[in-house]
Amino acid sequence: MTNHWIDVKNADVILVMGANPAENHPVSMKWIMRAKEKGAKLVVVDPRFTRTAAKADIYAPMRSGTDIAFMGGMIKYILEHNLYFKEYVVNYTNASFLVNPGYKGPGELKGLFSGYDEKTRKYDKKTWSFQMDEKGLPKKDPALKDQNCVFQLLKKHYSRYTLDKVSSITGTPKEKLVEVYKAFASTGKPDRVGTELYAMGWTQHTVGTQNIRAMAIIQLLLGNIGMAGGGINALRGACNVQGSTDHGLLFHILPGYIPVPTASITDLKTYIEKLTPKTKDPKSVNWWGNRGKYITSYLKAIYGNHATKDNDFGYAWVPKPDEGINASWLMLFDRMFKGKFEGFFAWGMNPACSGANSNKVRKALAKLKWMVDVDLFDNETSSFWKGPGMNPKEVQTEVFSLPACSIVEKEGSITNSGRLAQWHDKAIEPVGGSKPDSEIINELYFRVKRLYRKQGGKLPDPVTKLTWDYGEKGPDGKIKKMDIHRVAKEINGYYLEDLIDKKAAPPKQLGKKGELCATFVHLQNDGTTSSGNWIYCQSYTRKEGKVINMMARRKKTDPTGLGLYPEWAWCWPVNRKIIYNRASVDLQGRPWDPKRAVIKWNPAKEDPNTKKPGVWEGDVPDGPAPPMSDEKAGKYPFIMRPDGMGALFGPGLADGPFPEHYEALECPLQENLMSKQRINPAVKLFYDKAGGVPEDIFFSYDIRYPYVATTYRVSEHWQTGVFTRHEPWQLEMMPQQFVELSEELAKEKGIKNGDKINVSSGRGKIWAIAVVTERFKPFKVAGNTVHQVGLPWCFGWQYPEDGSGGDSSNLLTPTIGDANTMIPETKAFMVNVEKA
Amino acid sequence: MTTMIKKTSAFERANHWIMAVSFLVLAVTGAGFLYRLEGLNSIFGSFQNMKTVHNYAGIVFSVSLVLSLFSYLGEALRFDADDFIWLLTLGGYLSKKAKLPPQGRLNAGQKSFYLFLIIAGTAISATGYIIWLVPTLREWILISHLTHNISFVLLLMAIPIHIYLGTLANPGTFRIMVYGTVPVEWARKKHAKWVRSMEAGQ
Amino acid sequence: MQRKTLLISPELCIGCRGCQTACKAWNRLPATKTANKGSFENPPDLTPYVYNKIRYVEAPSEANPVRWLFISQRCMHCEDAGCMKICPAPGALFRTKEGAVAFNKDKCIGCKLCIAGCPFNIPRYDEKDKISKCHLCPDRIAGGLEPACAKTCPTGAIAFGDRSAIIAGARNAGYRKLYGEADLGGLGVLYAFKESPEFYGMNEKPAIPESIVFWHNVLKPLALIGLGGAVAGSVLHYLAIGPKRDGEGGEK
Repeated sequence: MTNHWIDVKNADVILVMGANPAENHPVSMKWIMRAKEKGAKLVVVDPRFTRTAAKADIYAPMRSGTDIAFMGGMIKYILEHNLYFKEYVVNYTNASFLVNPGYKGPGELKGLFSGYDEKTRKYDKKTWSFQMDEKGLPKKDPALKDQNCVFQLLKKHYSRYTLDKVSSITGTPKEKLVEVYKAFASTGKPDRVGTELYAMGWTQHTVGTQNIRAMAIIQLLLGNIGMAGGGINALRGACNVQGSTDHGLLFHILPGYIPVPTASITDLKTYIEKLTPKTKDPKSVNWWGNRGKYITSYLKAIYGNHATKDNDFGYAWVPKPDEGINASWLMLFDRMFKGKFEGFFAWGMNPACSGANSNKVRKALAKLKWMVDVDLFDNETSSFWKGPGMNPKEVQTEVFSLPACSIVEKEGSITNSGRLAQWHDKAIEPVGGSKPDSEIINELYFRVKRLYRKQGGKLPDPVTKLTWDYGEKGPDGKIKKMDIHRVAKEINGYYLEDLIDKKAAPPKQLGKKGELCATFVHLQNDGTTSSGNWIYCQSYTRKEGKVINMMARRKKTDPTGLGLYPEWAWCWPVNRKIIYNRASVDLQGRPWDPKRAVIKWNPAKEDPNTKKPGVWEGDVPDGPAPPMSDEKAGKYPFIMRPDGMGALFGPGLADGPFPEHYEALECPLQENLMSKQRINPAVKLFYDKAGGVPEDIFFSYDIRYPYVATTYRVSEHWQTGVFTRHEPWQLEMMPQQFVELSEELAKEKGIKNGDKINVSSGRGKIWAIAVVTERFKPFKVAGNTVHQVGLPWCFGWQYPEDGSGGDSSNLLTPTIGDANTMIPETKAFMVNVEKA
Repeated sequence: MTTMIKKTSAFERANHWIMAVSFLVLAVTGAGFLYRLEGLNSIFGSFQNMKTVHNYAGIVFSVSLVLSLFSYLGEALRFDADDFIWLLTLGGYLSKKAKLPPQGRLNAGQKSFYLFLIIAGTAISATGYIIWLVPTLREWILISHLTHNISFVLLLMAIPIHIYLGTLANPGTFRIMVYGTVPVEWARKKHAKWVRSMEAGQ
Repeated sequence: MQRKTLLISPELCIGCRGCQTACKAWNRLPATKTANKGSFENPPDLTPYVYNKIRYVEAPSEANPVRWLFISQRCMHCEDAGCMKICPAPGALFRTKEGAVAFNKDKCIGCKLCIAGCPFNIPRYDEKDKISKCHLCPDRIAGGLEPACAKTCPTGAIAFGDRSAIIAGARNAGYRKLYGEADLGGLGVLYAFKESPEFYGMNEKPAIPESIVFWHNVLKPLALIGLGGAVAGSVLHYLAIGPKRDGEGGEK
């Protein structure tokens, strides 16, 4: 989230697209309803009339996988009707930047951007660049008239997204499109704000990243980023997904969104040089310019005294994938399926149900020598060997189940979608033999380290050199009991030497050796500071001589009235609730909307740190620098971007600088109505013209699988349902796999409400109870009727034990991922439904 | 020595007292429910027990009611001119001088009372069973509950009168339900037709 | 003590059913095995172990495929409570000092008359034939907490508080009249409806069945009067006219 949960109450228009908060984030509806009470409009765009749609002021149905067409139409509408926030667009976005004249868009190249290589299915992004002047700064046309400026290119790109075409693609009636566009575009005024809430309905597509990019463009055009009640807000699917992502859950990032070094980058200096963004613009903060400090402090945190200047702070010990290796979910299971893995830890995961194309995942598990499943309950993954279609005698995988305890049986922090890290206490002792994850890791670490010590190994250092100072050691050297506070402190980081501000006169001591670091601003690249995760620096710190767990704060004061609650827990970065908040003020630092002022520049008041006049009031600003109009010290608002500007033109992605509509891998159309290019040209195909394994097969525009399908969650169950299916109260409310379909389709297929029917795709087949409802309506797409159905993915064969729940709808979903993130496309695929 | 004539069989008498006792139990427990008389807990222990007693006493009462049909129904349905005159004279209870027409084994008052008992008793029994056995049929229960209670009110008024008439008001009557016999002369005065038919039959 | 009241606002309800689970958790109610019958609504009806549930109603709509309504269903805690009126067992149903209609299973005799007495079809009976229904978490309220359902409700669709404050709040929110404000002496569960009650599947004028009112107001006193009258009449007759002695009256 750029903003945070409570902030939704400040919005004038709330667009929910790609999410279903009433069902999956019910608590967030508190703030949505509060906004509505104050007159805000709730706009819901979804293929299905959901429980969120039930609360909407405007509901627009849209065929799964056509979000970019929908939003492309909105961009066109905003530009055509001059509804964008001009001052914001000119000053805070790259709209005025001049693009390389070699750049060509899909309108000119039959659906492709310039630089495409058909063989590698990759783009050479050389032409997706800006024209630079002699100072190395981007050339600009503040009048936005130059034919090569981003604004004009944007206009040109989306001029193709006419109402007729968009309606024909999405199946949304034209008047509904206009209604939504009008409502959301009304927030292009300084005193109107719109927010967008999305979740997996946007990400789990082959164009997932571009879905979000399209919204970023809209929000920048309307001047909604940085504003209270604005932003683009990802609703995370679990209470701590944000936290786990922050701490390096994904294969390609270290904690704090630092890139994982690749094998070709052999020393820290090269890493820093290559991966630190640079700018020549003195007004750009370019915060990532500090990357060297963060990676060094991270290395000091994990290797401690073993990390020295002489050994590159242990940089060599950091595991490095080969260049071009992608270790995302789909790739991991593809490799596992091909027998390339020996072992696997399924830790709080149930891939046998949650993984796209679960049949392939289940078969892949059978290729392992061993698997460790760490979970609260036995589940479809740990019991895969006795699951449907498996012959236990033939499965050689040895499975170890480690019982983990639940969140109420341990203390620690969780970070919610709004980046708010909240500490929670332990309510009860772990039941049975279950243990907190930290204790399980402690056991594992100790044993692996002992084996390395005894037997040696190819590269023991990454394990043996780790700091592991999380409690009192027993005689065997093992930590007897993990002190999770020590982990939190290590994440925050320490001053390893006294930190002196030598520029100040007289020099001022900023930090004392051995004490907890106060802010990431203090982190150093010379090994004198440590921080396990720079963005969490300040979360567990020392204030006025006392050690404070900031995440455990519980003060309910709200000085701005915007719901920032600055002393309730703590959010990264540095307790800034709304990021890019410097974009919420004009060039002089005056809030665009004084009624909802996130920050404002008070030129009269003295800054207590610098003793100079001028200070920001309100939320923690994106840096203390004076407003942009200050010729000498003013800064641009988008401090994480090298050029300091919000990116309407985004050359960083794999599949184009502007979002372009492509159909899903499996779709009901023979051709993309927008161009000759049916699917995203930059996605990795697992099954192509040259073939592939039958498990990866797909069927597009195929009479055997004529209906669009999507998957979703329900309020009553959580993820694959491992928690909630074992909870009889939840199961009572949602007992069985179901499929929602329209009355029209049901009539066509002779299906009655409540019938047990079969749903099949190219990959698998499941039974489901038919929920025949008016809440699903057929779409008019390209002049034809297209039916869509939807299934939840919270059921599995293993529990309830009598099999009455059914099996996972992921048995149907395809093996294909987003061009940038490889997140599987489970929200749009093709199926057939038939009476059982 | 007075000549006695047998007026009731042992079966009739036994059934009378079974009904009388079960009614009394039902009336007391029923009143307990109607007026939530917690004092009755000292007898029954709890309302739960009281409900059990009420229900099973209801079975006894209703069975007894059915058995009584064999004894009285045929007779009670036969009303002749004398019976109507008897009724019009109000059984002579309001005037010592009134002359009554001759009566059979049961006088018209007794016949009427019996018919009332059958109707009210059947109503209260049937509705009792409905309330007991099919409590979720809401509409049925509402009608049954009302009928049960109306019948109860009527019985509650009729029974004390029945007791009075069978005891204090008509000396010599009570022994009918104790010994079953009455003096012939007593019978001749009160049930002339019956005595005549008995004598004719001998 | 001010009467406590729940205010249900279907406009705010998102159908998440946190209330159903919270109720079960607090009141330690077991789950039953259910099946999907083609609806999200489950269990399909109140049971002895489902004190409150959300009804899912798909009503016609002009702008959208459907209007999907979520309506909390449970005991209304009527001021003039038909169940309490008809209940023959003292203490089985009782009024808490906060105004709720609570129950004591130990005192319940399982007669089920309350089912007939309830205008809202609420009471259910467990396998031991004891009454089961929402009791407004009297243990929580006594401890200064709100009922479990209200505590859990994320959007404020189930609000709890002093009756006057609840009504005043709803007036401020633009509701001129709340469902249940005046019915049955004032319901303990009020509804903020935007449409007519029928639209939400609720009775426009809920009332205790007339037969029960008649029984309660007329028959109960009449039974006493009748009994008294019969006894008094007999005594009077005995004293005024006296018994039939031999030789007096008799047949012609």
